[in-house]
Amino acid sequence: MNKESAYWIALAHLPRWGHLKINNLIIKFYHENKLSIEDFFQLTESDWKNQYGIEYKEIEDLKKAKSELANNAFLAESLNNEGYELIPITSPEYSRTLKENLKAAHAPALLYVKGNKKIMQEKSIAIVGSRNASDKSLEFTDNIAKLASKEYKVVVSGFAKGVDKQALDSAINYKGQSIIVLPQGIMTFGSGFKKYYKQIVDGDVLVLSTFFPKAPWKAELAMARNPIIYGLADEIYVAESSDKGGTWSGVVDGLRKNRKIYVRKPEPNENTANNLLIQKGAIAVDFNGNPLIDYKPSLAEVNQLSLNEPTVNYENKILDLLKTGEYAVKDIIKKLQLTWSEKKLRDYLKSKKEVETINKKPMRFTMKDSTIKQKSLFD
Amino acid sequence: MNRQEAEIILQRTFKLSRFYDEQWTTIEKILKGERVLLIEKTGYGKSLCFQFPAIVHKGTTVIFSPLIALMRDQVKKLKTLGISAKCVNSEQTPEENSQIINDAKAGKIKILYIAPERQENSEWIEATRQMNLSMVVVDEAHCISVWGHDFRPAFRRIINLVNLLPKGLPVLATTATATKKVELDIAEQMGSNLSIIRGNLMRDNFKLFVITVNSEDEKLIWLGKNLQQLPGSGILYTGTRVDTEIYSKWFEFLKIPSSGYNAGLDAESRIAIENGLMKNQWKCVISTNALGMGIDKPDIRFIIHTQIPQSPIHYYQEIGRAGRDNQPSFIILFYNPEDKKLPEAFIEGGRPSISKYEKVITAVKSEMLGERDLMRRTNLKQNQIRVIKADLMEQKIIREVTVGRGKKFEYITGAPQLNTKAFEELRASKTRDLDKMIEYVETTQSRMKYLCDYLGDSSTHSFNNCDNTGLKKIIVSVNDEWTQKLQEFREDYFPVLEVETRGTNLINGVAASYYGVSNVGSALHRSKYENGGDFPDFLLKLILKAYRKKFGQEKFDLILYVPPTKSGDLVKNFAMKVSQVFKFPISHNLIKQRATSEQKVFENAYLKSDNVKDAFMIKTPDEVKGKTILLIDDIFDSGATIKEIGRYLSNLGALKIAPLVIARTVGGDLV
Repeated sequence: MNKESAYWIALAHLPRWGHLKINNLIIKFYHENKLSIEDFFQLTESDWKNQYGIEYKEIEDLKKAKSELANNAFLAESLNNEGYELIPITSPEYSRTLKENLKAAHAPALLYVKGNKKIMQEKSIAIVGSRNASDKSLEFTDNIAKLASKEYKVVVSGFAKGVDKQALDSAINYKGQSIIVLPQGIMTFGSGFKKYYKQIVDGDVLVLSTFFPKAPWKAELAMARNPIIYGLADEIYVAESSDKGGTWSGVVDGLRKNRKIYVRKPEPNENTANNLLIQKGAIAVDFNGNPLIDYKPSLAEVNQLSLNEPTVNYENKILDLLKTGEYAVKDIIKKLQLTWSEKKLRDYLKSKKEVETINKKPMRFTMKDSTIKQKSLFD
Repeated sequence: MNRQEAEIILQRTFKLSRFYDEQWTTIEKILKGERVLLIEKTGYGKSLCFQFPAIVHKGTTVIFSPLIALMRDQVKKLKTLGISAKCVNSEQTPEENSQIINDAKAGKIKILYIAPERQENSEWIEATRQMNLSMVVVDEAHCISVWGHDFRPAFRRIINLVNLLPKGLPVLATTATATKKVELDIAEQMGSNLSIIRGNLMRDNFKLFVITVNSEDEKLIWLGKNLQQLPGSGILYTGTRVDTEIYSKWFEFLKIPSSGYNAGLDAESRIAIENGLMKNQWKCVISTNALGMGIDKPDIRFIIHTQIPQSPIHYYQEIGRAGRDNQPSFIILFYNPEDKKLPEAFIEGGRPSISKYEKVITAVKSEMLGERDLMRRTNLKQNQIRVIKADLMEQKIIREVTVGRGKKFEYITGAPQLNTKAFEELRASKTRDLDKMIEYVETTQSRMKYLCDYLGDSSTHSFNNCDNTGLKKIIVSVNDEWTQKLQEFREDYFPVLEVETRGTNLINGVAASYYGVSNVGSALHRSKYENGGDFPDFLLKLILKAYRKKFGQEKFDLILYVPPTKSGDLVKNFAMKVSQVFKFPISHNLIKQRATSEQKVFENAYLKSDNVKDAFMIKTPDEVKGKTILLIDDIFDSGATIKEIGRYLSNLGALKIAPLVIARTVGGDLV
């Protein structure tokens, strides 16, 4: 058990500090001054100011964190009791891949894990994609996971619906190893631990979180964990992405950081932004993950997906659908394979005079004066 | 703060004039934020060493203590001094505990006592994240050590917590019973930066006696004759719960005011008995050594053991409660060489066989399991499961995690193989301890010196407070009058069968005897398994007496008996005899409608319940409608069979069902 856990919890979650500031501080006290984190916290305020150049506001942050160390100790003991381990960035057990990919600017100071930590030392790939992935994307995911497992590469995924879940289940199915990167605190994972109990016990699955242990799921956390998924992987495969949302921003961010990202070459007439990503610098791959170096999507193929205003085609499709009954935005998106966000669609529909808003739970829309008022499939 | 300043506050708040030197040394270190292990005898005043700093500190002091009765007393005392103190434990309602935890979060409590098991409480876990903590105290710190006499796994967590606390947060561990080995173990576990302060453990107001006997009867007789001659009131420790009952009934029979006390009592009853003892309502309270540790009466004038404890340190701990007021107190130990068998059985049988461990490991490897499911899956007794799980947790092979509102065991990824050497070492160590206890009994030297040497007390003081050094030896003399009394008692005392269950018309019944006690058990065994023929007549006489005692002249409409699995017509023939004597009609129509295995194959009550569920049927249900029924069987163990039949008959309209059995086994199963 890491006796310094209480200190690491305090440091890793300093409010509004960000990874770079925290890591720079660690570099200073741990590497340059050879102090343990406990010793660092025992320093006086003037030491912090003079030796470390820490400003007033941050000194207050540190003081507050220090006053909460005993409380953290209780939390740390609780974590330890339930079988979670804490791995600070200074530990040799910390994933080298993660450190190298994210570096001081983005690497989290503390990892919370449960399961076989050695998995982090193996070669790894990440498989990402939308929650509403098509069957083609899921087949691709399954295939990549199979190939990875054959080559003893660990599959890293985010435990979201769709591609993430497929990646995990396939890896397990092919007897490979996986890392699950949670979009929430590790103590809130509950049912997941039950479901994957055997695999965790057998050492094939590692559950990992970088957030405060009790943090519940939040969209921001889901976003924030994507760079971690990328960071833990040597190679990244994208099964499917739209032009907005978690997957999209993850890839864009990765490309910006010069990561090699493989995107599945889409079928003709697919409603995905895969071609757009390829144009932006991702590498197209075939069904088996082999790069298609000569593939260059045409302009038309790239613009398969419009970026801003809805095209006339879609408008008609939506209004035609609403003629047949009442639908919630979720259903419209699914039925028509739209890449719009729910908010965008809702705003659009509300702005249309011919569309009637029905205030039920969930909110539904239909054409006013529809001649055919069928009961929706979803009633 | 210097000592003078401190003693002014001491005077003002605690109404005491000054500290003992070792108290001040401890307190000074605590105020500096250091860690201390304090080993001092009972009655020294260890509590002041944490209560004083607690009121000086700004935040809350948390005290982990396993002794609920002691907690209660201390909280009461602190309240009278105007200090806000509370405790959180299993005796209080969940609502009370919740409220207290909330108050602690809000900073309203200065001193909070908490039982180690409460660490699992989710509200407590929440509260600890927000409380302003000033100090942590670990009372009865010897519970941390497996080499000690009272190891408790929950203390492991406390030690983990202590090791995670930040530097500068003071920690005080206290105990009154630690051999050198235990002291070193505690120190090692609590990490470096620990000061050890050890005082002198001798108690020279004790008068130590050992009475050698040849039978249980001699113990009963001596006590019957002499208990009232002892001064004041005190405690009698027996080896088993059954013994507690027997001695309790014996004193009742002799009209000596006494009360039995055991782990099965509810909180209210326990508190009532403790209060009664404080007010000297009884001559003595009879208890197993599992309890009674928390009773904080200053004037316990005698402590008597009818059963030799497992080691001198167990003994020291148990007698430690006597004479805290430093007035003379009688410490008596009865010893019959036969008595060795009980602790030996604990040591040998203490651990289940390795194959049982492996069963548990295999089960948990494939699925997260709670205790009940584990018992079902492995067909092991609850006690065995508990020993195995404690060992596996100790060796870090499994861990207990909270799932929703319950707890389950999970296998630890990458766990090591089972270390059986550790068991061997522990067993060898316990055997050595028992030998040391026998040495105490047999020594011709000063008994106090023997105990002090064992504990590691360094003292050149010469003691003459025992029957080897000046006090007159006690010899038991048995005469006809008392032998007669004992006989009368034996034929007058019958164990009650508690089967009353809501939703059925079962009422409590009675057994003629405990199975292992007296010759009832062997008579049954002979008939059942050695072809000894029908149950002998003396059993009939005994069961009739038992019936009269419990039911008086009450009549029952019908006799039914439990249909046998293997032992043929023994119970039937016996029931027919009972029917003849009482002149209650008997029916042979209660039968088994499906095969069951002999209950004794099943090790635990869950499986025994499963085994008999819906197994019985009566061919003529009208026979029982509106009737009162006397249900006869030979042996009562978990009661699963009786309860199942009682349920079935109640559903058919039986008015009342009372069990009447020959023998009740000891050490049932479920709590």
